Amino acid sequence: MKAKLSAFFAKDGAQKLLASLLSIVIGLAVGSVVVLIVGLANPAISLRGAWEGIRLIFAGILSTGRDAAGSLTWGFNPTSMGNMLFRATPLIMTGLSVAVAYKAGLFNIGAPGQYLMGTMVTLMVALSIPTTVVPPALVWLIAFLAGCLAGALWGALPGLLKAFLNINEVLACIMTNWIAANTVTWLFDISNFKNLVESTKSGYIYKTTYNGVATAKLGLDKLFPGSQVNGGIIIAIVLAIAMYILMNKTTLGFELKACGSNRHAARYAGIKDKRNIVLSMAIAGALSAAGASLYYLSGNTEFFWSTYQSLPATGFNGIPVALLAVSNPIGVIFSGIFMSMLDIVGLQLTNLTAYNEYITDVIIATIVYLSAFALVIRLMISGRKKRRMAQGGKTAEPPAPEDEDGKGGEPA
Amino acid sequence: MENSPQYVIEMLHITKEFPGIRANDDITLQLKKGEIHALLGENGAGKSTLMSVLFGLYQPEGGEIRKNGVRVEINDPNDATALNIGMVHQHFKLVDVFTVLDNIILGAETTKMGFIQKKEARRKVEALSEKYGLRVDLDARVEDITVGMQQRVEILKMLYRDNEILIFDEPTAVLTPQEIEELMETMREFSREGKSILFISHKLNEIMAVADRVTVLRKGRCIGTVNTCDTDKQELSNMMVGRPVQLEVVKDEAKPAEEVLRVEHLSVPSHIHRRNAVNDVSFSVRAGEILCIAGIDGNGQTELIHGLTGLDKSSSGSVTLCGQDISRANIQRRGLNMSHIPEDRHKHGLVLDFTLEQNIVLQRYKEPRFQRGGFIKADAVRDYAEQLIEQYDVRSGQGPVTVARSMSGGNQQKAIIARELDRDKPLIVAVQPTRGLDVGAIEYIHKQLVSERDRGKAILLVSLELDEVMSLSDRILVMYEGEIVGEFDPTKISVSELGLYMAGARRAAKEGEEA
Repeated sequence: MKAKLSAFFAKDGAQKLLASLLSIVIGLAVGSVVVLIVGLANPAISLRGAWEGIRLIFAGILSTGRDAAGSLTWGFNPTSMGNMLFRATPLIMTGLSVAVAYKAGLFNIGAPGQYLMGTMVTLMVALSIPTTVVPPALVWLIAFLAGCLAGALWGALPGLLKAFLNINEVLACIMTNWIAANTVTWLFDISNFKNLVESTKSGYIYKTTYNGVATAKLGLDKLFPGSQVNGGIIIAIVLAIAMYILMNKTTLGFELKACGSNRHAARYAGIKDKRNIVLSMAIAGALSAAGASLYYLSGNTEFFWSTYQSLPATGFNGIPVALLAVSNPIGVIFSGIFMSMLDIVGLQLTNLTAYNEYITDVIIATIVYLSAFALVIRLMISGRKKRRMAQGGKTAEPPAPEDEDGKGGEPA
Repeated sequence: MENSPQYVIEMLHITKEFPGIRANDDITLQLKKGEIHALLGENGAGKSTLMSVLFGLYQPEGGEIRKNGVRVEINDPNDATALNIGMVHQHFKLVDVFTVLDNIILGAETTKMGFIQKKEARRKVEALSEKYGLRVDLDARVEDITVGMQQRVEILKMLYRDNEILIFDEPTAVLTPQEIEELMETMREFSREGKSILFISHKLNEIMAVADRVTVLRKGRCIGTVNTCDTDKQELSNMMVGRPVQLEVVKDEAKPAEEVLRVEHLSVPSHIHRRNAVNDVSFSVRAGEILCIAGIDGNGQTELIHGLTGLDKSSSGSVTLCGQDISRANIQRRGLNMSHIPEDRHKHGLVLDFTLEQNIVLQRYKEPRFQRGGFIKADAVRDYAEQLIEQYDVRSGQGPVTVARSMSGGNQQKAIIARELDRDKPLIVAVQPTRGLDVGAIEYIHKQLVSERDRGKAILLVSLELDEVMSLSDRILVMYEGEIVGEFDPTKISVSELGLYMAGARRAAKEGEEA
């Protein structure tokens, strides 16, 4: 049993999983400490309140409110669960976007811009095709694909700059993010789409149900009554699995990864490195935009736009989602759900305790920040093992990489 | 017992164990004052471990170190420095963006009230540089200077610290022939002055040329210490490898057949300067012969090969391979008839973070044998990788799934050679295929190349090692400053004469054209 366990932990995948789980636990633990400190410092919060806060940090998703006596009650909360899955959908998509680009050797910090472009194109298409002529389901599909295409084109832009002019993709992405933000503002401003919601809300708000377009519920609303969940989460999971297959089982994935790890060697092998860099970024862009499409096509969401548009947090949150999943597309499903669970936890904390939403944000940010330390933790785990081997495998790393011929990586 | 004041450093019965491996097993090394003592062994024999023990990077489990007969403890490199032990590492330990002077004084700065006294330091370094003929530009940044000069900086670092015991770890691996000659002269000068030198190498020529005594290690054990004047290369290499090694390449007369590669008036622009790195070069390679391009590093060999293989664009001229003009073809199309063992195995040869099997199919993953409908056939890849690993004796920790980065240099090179030779193309371009490898691996690679030649392959070899050029080639072309300055028959030219052409002191009429 012990031997089996240690063999399991020797595996690379197991180490990654362990590291991610550990960093989550550390994140939650530190979050609890913050809850405690804030509770002690705030006269409005009793020690009992702080204890409730800590319990909510770990299990807020299972909170069902308070009973008549005023103590917290626990159990399956379909609304929370459903909303968690609903909010996870765009996070999984932006997480995938960052993860796939990372596997191809690129740091896609342009997810927010791609997300915005996807938002705009999806909304415009979904609202402009009359559902009296075209069936809503078809409008939905066209809007979704158009959004993805817009994201792909937007993502390809930094890819082109990187491939042909050798401009660092991070810089290009930051700039294209802000170009996207302002372009979207400007295009909505000059468009005829204004206040496209059923009610008489003011401001500039868009909602696809105005045109009768919404993602199918696929029975999930029966499973999680009272929540916003819809078929989008299924699509996100399917896309994640598709990305896993693409990266690990296909020749295209092989090429993308080869270019990502060593552009020179890929070129030497006859792989078209430039094309693959552009393609990687286009795929990443399409994934981010798909997240936006799924979110705004859901029918529950309104896109609020005034004369000012900043970058959507969902785009940036793709980075910790991908980090926590160690860029594994399957892992992204879980880390995306985890991140959205923190969202729900934050809501519960605000609703049920005296912690206000700003404190909650700080606490949640702390958890996210530490959870993204998966990589550091992983280095620590493998570092411990390496130090043992270390000493064997690298007979003399500092002076010369003089691996023992033949017994190089043999487990000690 | 062995304690005698004539030894400046003694490492007695050193044992260093790592889990599963005994890297040093009861090794005794005694360094006399003023001698050049070579430490010889194959990759993985434990040379670097032993030197790391001496330099305080590792603590041995057994044995002791004495200086001038007195037992000393060396717990970290600071202790070693305090004992006047200095080391030039194989991979230089320099700060790239610092100037040469800053690098030399780094860690040993003379200060007054917390301010660095650079003028004083500069005077001292200049004096040392003058005295030993170690030319360096003190104000240049390390990233801008040549590897040879970087090494001189490392040497000056040791001198600046008044080190008396100098360790050189594989110092010649990165140097050109002239730089090697200069280094050896410097080492002799040091020894005349009474400094003691430990010289780690697996190059027999250099050891015979410069060392007084040699200690040979094999698989962590000390095989023996001999005087270089009492031994020869053959004996040393047998001691090192543990079996008789063929130092000379055995091959029959070449039977050149049809022309496979024809290069006409090829020019390739340089990345560094405005002139052409390769200027109007013409030659051809025929099936069944090994054509070697000799020359000192940096005379356009790299660019020539890049121009041929498509890694760089040529500016003019034509390349014809197997009757097809490939001057403008992409790398993939050129690869249809060409194998390429690249010069830089880490940059071009391997994707280091890929597994061995992924690297083995690096060019071939698209062949129907390895994929169907865009999906890679994992089983076929695995079988093929296992077959090549077996056939070419590529050793690694976990077989096909070993990450290439974790393999030893020799086995990385074997993997590349396995991949390239098994692609079975009419032309094999091999650039410095044995660089940095030990005698056993070199012997193996040479045998493989000769047998490919005998199977009727055309082989274009680029080498900086004159020994390799002389023993392996059927024809030699010498490149100097981007041009071919002569074509020779290895049986009819001496090494020294070839050296003159390589240094640009002589130039022959282009035989092919004049005839």
